[in-house]
Amino acid sequence: MVRIVLKGLKETEEFGEKLGSILKPGDIISLTGDLGAGKTALTKSIGKGLGVEDYITSPTFTLINEYKGRINLYHFDVYRLEGSMDLYDLGFEEYIYSDGISIIEWGDKIEEALPKERINIRIEKGTELDERIIYIYGEGERFEQFIKELNID
Amino acid sequence: MKTLAVDTSTMMATCALLDEDRLLGEFSLNQDMTHSENLVPMIKEMLDNLNLKVKDIDLFGVAIGPGSFTGLRIGIATIKSFAHVFDKPVIGVSTLEGLAFNLPYNGYIVPIIDARRNRIYTGIYNRIKGNLINIVEPTIMEVDKLMKLLQKEYDHIIVNGNGTLVYRDIILEALGDQVIMAPKNLNSCRASSIGELALLKYKEGQRDSYYHLVPEYLRESQAQRELRKRDK
Repeated sequence: MVRIVLKGLKETEEFGEKLGSILKPGDIISLTGDLGAGKTALTKSIGKGLGVEDYITSPTFTLINEYKGRINLYHFDVYRLEGSMDLYDLGFEEYIYSDGISIIEWGDKIEEALPKERINIRIEKGTELDERIIYIYGEGERFEQFIKELNID
Repeated sequence: MKTLAVDTSTMMATCALLDEDRLLGEFSLNQDMTHSENLVPMIKEMLDNLNLKVKDIDLFGVAIGPGSFTGLRIGIATIKSFAHVFDKPVIGVSTLEGLAFNLPYNGYIVPIIDARRNRIYTGIYNRIKGNLINIVEPTIMEVDKLMKLLQKEYDHIIVNGNGTLVYRDIILEALGDQVIMAPKNLNSCRASSIGELALLKYKEGQRDSYYHLVPEYLRESQAQRELRKRDK
């Protein structure tokens, strides 16, 4: 597990953009963290790094938002779903097994429906104002490569 | 009876217009999943070229799956709305039956649609006196399982559908001389096949309602999913 402390909004934005710039087609990010931790804000920066020009908003209401960028971005919020069965009514598999990038807020709620090869990111509030602590963990070849490219010691 | 049919079950977006005697027009594009942008303009283009309007259509046919979740919804919603506006009959046709119908082959016809992660939608058909008969009902299974089934119990097989492109090597290795691959022009979903089947089914008395017609996604059951997870 990689632990990163981000001091302030600017660092969080830069981190998100960097993530976005190294993501590859087919990558899946399960993003967890309490309400207000900054999941959607982080996704916005990731989108920026992916070259998404649209304004990224929370998918809490719409469940899925699609954006065109260097690679297509599919932004999910599964908080309101009652379980993984609901996912199949969204055509979920067509997104996550596509050539786009899927970012799934509250992904831990539907863990069993997600492929093991994914990038898990947990975001927590730090002790200082606007400080964020990021935990990244996962398994598989792609995850190892991703961590290497992220280049954090 | 002028029949307009569409099939958006796969990456192929296809629409066709036919009557009892002739195929009047068919328009197919096999590219990215852009059905929501392309399908209706495509239908308009075809009808404009034939000097027809949607109100001139007597029967609507649509492929109801299995296939792409989003694709199916686009095709079915489009056809249902046409049928509803002009209060005309609509017939849903299995995408697999449509693919099998492409092939006037005297042997076993096995359409294969990719369902991702080594899974396929498939069924087994043959023709008796020219009529297409369904032997193994449409189902979702792992490609290896289909190969074992075909190896053991079937010969003189022809396959088509996008799954034959994805799993081409597996199919050839498993079945060798038992199988032939369909030519390209008959390998993909064709709205002309869906339209002709819709017309046949209509004449046989089948009636679907534009209120009740729904996609046939053929998902794995919960039990199948659990089993696959455990096997992993």
